[in-house]
Formats: sequence, structure tokens, C-alpha cells
Amino acid sequence: MSATEPGADAGGKQRILGRVRAALSGRSTVDHPGPFESWRPPDTTVQIAVDRFAAMLEAAGGEIVRLPDEAAARDWLWGFSKDFTSAALGETLPEPLRPALPIAAADVAPLGISRARGAIAETGSLLLDARDGRRAQLLPPTHVVFVHAADVHVTFRDAVISMKGDLPSALGLHSGPSKSADIGHIMVKGVHGPGRLIAVVIEASSP
Amino acid sequence: MSGGTTPGRYRAEAARTLAERPSVRTAVTSATDHSNVNRGRAYATIDSERWRDWARDTKTHLLTHLDRYLEQAEASLLRNGVRVHWAETAADALTALSGIVREHELKRAIKGKSMLTEELGVNAHLEGLGVHVREADLGEYIVQMLGEPPTHIVGPAIHKSLADCQRLFHERFGTALDADPDTLARAARAVLREEFLSADLGISGANFLAADTGTIALIENEGNIRLSTSLPRIHVAFVGIEKLVPRLEDVAGFVQLTTRASTGQPIGNYVSLIQGPRRVGEIDGPDEVHVIFVDNGRTRLLADEAAWEALRCVRCGACLNICPVYRQTGGHAYGWTYGGPIGAILAPALLGLEESMPLPFASTLCGACADVCPVRIPIPDLLLHWRERAVEAGLSSTSEAVGLSAFTKAAEHPALFGAAGTLLRWLPWRAGGRALPILGGWLQERSAPEPSAKSFRQLWKDGIE
Repeated sequence: MSATEPGADAGGKQRILGRVRAALSGRSTVDHPGPFESWRPPDTTVQIAVDRFAAMLEAAGGEIVRLPDEAAARDWLWGFSKDFTSAALGETLPEPLRPALPIAAADVAPLGISRARGAIAETGSLLLDARDGRRAQLLPPTHVVFVHAADVHVTFRDAVISMKGDLPSALGLHSGPSKSADIGHIMVKGVHGPGRLIAVVIEASSP
Repeated sequence: MSGGTTPGRYRAEAARTLAERPSVRTAVTSATDHSNVNRGRAYATIDSERWRDWARDTKTHLLTHLDRYLEQAEASLLRNGVRVHWAETAADALTALSGIVREHELKRAIKGKSMLTEELGVNAHLEGLGVHVREADLGEYIVQMLGEPPTHIVGPAIHKSLADCQRLFHERFGTALDADPDTLARAARAVLREEFLSADLGISGANFLAADTGTIALIENEGNIRLSTSLPRIHVAFVGIEKLVPRLEDVAGFVQLTTRASTGQPIGNYVSLIQGPRRVGEIDGPDEVHVIFVDNGRTRLLADEAAWEALRCVRCGACLNICPVYRQTGGHAYGWTYGGPIGAILAPALLGLEESMPLPFASTLCGACADVCPVRIPIPDLLLHWRERAVEAGLSSTSEAVGLSAFTKAAEHPALFGAAGTLLRWLPWRAGGRALPILGGWLQERSAPEPSAKSFRQLWKDGIE
């Protein structure tokens, strides 16, 4: 064992690397095959990307609400949140998208509301940044996530490349509600994370 | 973690499972049928041949430059503020864990699903240190309560029926004996939520680790991994050295291919991309992240020019799901962490050839595993490789040794091969095969195949119509 910190013994590392080099000595090498190419229809418009994102997320058990602009999103949220007693909010949630509800800690709030950094069309994934706060993304049983249509990337690879220069401590890709088939092979929702995931797509570009 | 048995007891344990616990076969067959249908659909909607070529080549590139990528990964992790440990053996990995536990006086561990931690025996070690450890994946939690190891790489409890779970949860949580799966899941959620909130140590494995950004990538559906790596103040990730990929962009391909091969999903409902501890300005996340790089036999496998390709494995479980042998018994009979075809070609390197006997023989060589493998590991070839090694080392039974060496000799000499074919064609097969000294025992439980009138070689010579 060795920790590769200043002054620590690096013997384990050197012995492992030594064995790797010995194993590979004289072995022919293979070049990286290049970019992973996946789903990319020709002339992918924002509309096509959002359609795909919505279809994939719904197929995985998520819910989709598509609204023309932030004002409509606010109206929707105020209506939707009436059924809840409190909410845990993402740190980067803009003022207009905050509900008229008491704020509660994520471990007791029945509703979590986050702002996604973006989304992925091909996999139907929301990109959730640790800077928005992880607990509100994971602990409440219902999770509402706002995302702007302009931030929907076509592929997972596109999304990764766009974020590479600005990575937080963690990114969570949420592509549906928490689910498990570990009990008798029967699918249940809401095992540890939210059992309801609602993605609200704001179609107009942000003001 | 072997559940009290060993690979050497494979035949006896497999027979015992079939005779004494027929429900295991029913449950495993049903669960794997489901996965096979889903994988088929998921492969059909993509250019799966091209994706699999890409994945094979990317992993092969990685493995043939592994020293370079390990050094790059370490540099990226350190830059991200992650503490890096190198473990040559399971004992080294557990020693590194002990150091972290003592340094921070950790008392309660919550574990996201990880096969490597099973391989290393992390739970027993933590309990020995006085640390309370709880599995958080629902399937892992079920087998932990039962004191069993996982039966499948992806579905730890697929050998348990709903009735088995209802009984267990009734005893543990007082739920009704006929409670539906939603009720059972709610009971487990309530217990495990408390465990998440009170744990000071979160443990995970890694599906992939991107060398260029130091990103630890983890795939799941429940949220147990996201919570285990987000709530406790210390996160320790155990990472097999073969889990690296060159670039973060490669993770995008591997995550999608792995879930399609595994459960047939386009992606897991949760994917974590972790770059280290909580940063200034972030309100939650662990104070420290540790990566323990684990060798534990992997460099030995890499050094084997004929068998190293098994290191491409992404642990999707597709070869288990499709294997007609695995499907009869589930994973426990195999007697170690990794059951099924992939386990049989990892065991000789990770455990030692003698310790893994007779697992390389626990296959019909039907080839279905190679057909579904997302990284195109030539599993049947590697099974044959280890069989030959076993014969050379005098580790296989006489009949297998005679049969294999005779086949090898015949295959190398066309005339001999032809003569042997003719001879076999004339043997009294329909008498039950008992006349054959080698196959007599084998044929007692099987019907002998009827040979065709002409050999393939004869048909070829005559001109196939």
C-alpha cells in the first residue's frame, strides 16, 4: 500500500507500473479508434433534440412538461406546487422559478426543485451540477428540474466536451426516476432517489 | 466473498442447488430471460456491431498503454484534490481503507453497489474494524441480510423470488407476508435513508475512470451510488486498474454500451461523474475523496499473451444472462465473486489456476457469450486456453486431459483428423455411447448425438450443394 502524497512511500505504485510495463514489453499496441459516433440525425435542430430528449426521458419513466418561456414555467410551478407543503431548492435556481412555498431542508422536503445545467437528447438525461446542491436533487420524493431547450445537447459526447473545461466536483445524469427490480424482478419506483422526476423544458432561450 | 464455498466445489454445489433449491433455477432463468430480450432490443436500435468494435479497440488501446494512462489518471486525480492509493493485493487495499478509517475515526459506512469490494472482502474487513457497514443497493441489501454473496454481477438477488423477499421483509421489518413490492421497497427505503444520513463513510467502485479528467464514472438505477458518494463526509472508491478509459468522451460511449448490454436500457437512470471532493462554493458533497487503485492479479492477467483480453470486461453481466450453464444455478455455485463465463476466465489469473478449477470446464463452449459481449472478449477461446493450461499443469481429470490432447494432436494432422472422424462415425453411438471409455459417464445423463452420414470434409470434397 502506498499513498502518493508528498513524502509517502510510492513503492506499491512503482511495482504495479513495473509489472504493467513488463507485461506490455514487446506487445503490439493498438491506436485509439477515434470518436464514439452514435445518434446524430442530419441537420439536428433544437426541436429535434428536445423531441428526442422528451421521448427518451418518458420511456424511462420520467415526466415532461414543455413550456414556451420562463413566465409560463413560473405559472406551471405555482400550480403544481400547491399540492406540496414545502420545497428544497437548488442553489442556482433563478428567482422567478422559486415556488410560493416554505423552504425546507432536502431530507424533509416533499419536493426538490433544481435547475439543470443542460440535457442530453440521445439518452434523455438531465445534467445536474453539484454547484446546484446534490441533496435537493436526491432526497425529496418528487424532483422538478428546469432546463432550457437551448442547453439540450445532441449526444452524451457533445455534452461532455462542452463541459470539460468547467467540471464541478460531481455531475449527476438523471434519466428517469429512481427504480429497482431487485424485489422479485418487479419494477418499483422511488427506491432511494425521487420516485417522480419531472423535467420542465423552457423552449424559449433564457432572457 | 465466496459464501462459504470455493470453485473446487463447483460440481457439488451446482448439483446441490438444482436438487435442493429448484426455485433458484426458476428465478435466475426468468430474470436472465428478461435481460436477454431487453438486450436484444437495445442492440437492435443501434449499430451494435460498430459500437462493439469501437469499445473493443478503445479498451485494447487503453490496456496496451496502461502504464501511461495510470500515470495520467493519477496526475488528474491529484489535480482534482483526490487522494490516491495503490494496492498490489486485496490485503493492501484493505490496509489503505483501514488507514482512512483510523485517520477520520469513521464509524458508519454505506456502500454503493460494487463487485470489486466483494472481491476484496471489504464488508468483513470493516466489521473487523468495528465499523457498521450497510449495503445500499436493494439487491445487495437483500443478500447482505441473508448472509449471502451476490449471485449475479448486476442483479445480486435475482435468485430470490418475490415470496422469498416477502418472507425476509416480514421477519426483518414486520411487513405483511403478502405485501406488494412497492410496500417492501418503501420499508427498505426508510431503513436505508437513515443509514445514508448517518453514515460518515461512503464506499463505491467505479465503472470507468477517465484518465484525462480523473472522472470516476458510476452507473445505477436506484440512486444508492449517488447518495453514497454525496452524503458521507468521506468517499472511498475502489478502482480496478483495468477500469480506466483514455478520455471523458470515451465514458459517453462506454456508459451507453454497458447499459444496453446489461439491462437493455439506453442509459442507467443515474450516472455519476465525480471529479473529487466538495469545492469552495458547493454546499454539499464529501470533504475527501480517495481512489484506491487495485491490481490483485490484474497485471498477472495482462502479462498472459493469450488471456489478457478478459481485462476489457465492463462487468455488464450479458455473458451470464445468455450462458446456458450459469442460467441453471446462478452464481453461488461458482464459489467466488464472479460467476459465469467471465468469472471462469478471470479466476485463473485472479485466484490462481489450481484454485479456480474446474471453472474453465463449466461451459459447453456454445459461444453465445462471445456473441453478446459488448467489448468482444473471445470468451470460448479463453476458456479453451485455460483448459489447455490446466491439462498441462495436470490439474484436470484424466478423461479431459486425454480428450483435449488427442483433439489437439488430431487437429494438427489432417489425415489423423479424417481417420478419427471416420472411426467415430462407426462407433455404436445408439447403444448409449457406453462403448466409449471416455464419454460413458458423460453420456449417462445425455442422449448421444447421431453423426451425419458424411463428414464436413467429405461434403466439401464432393462439393456442397
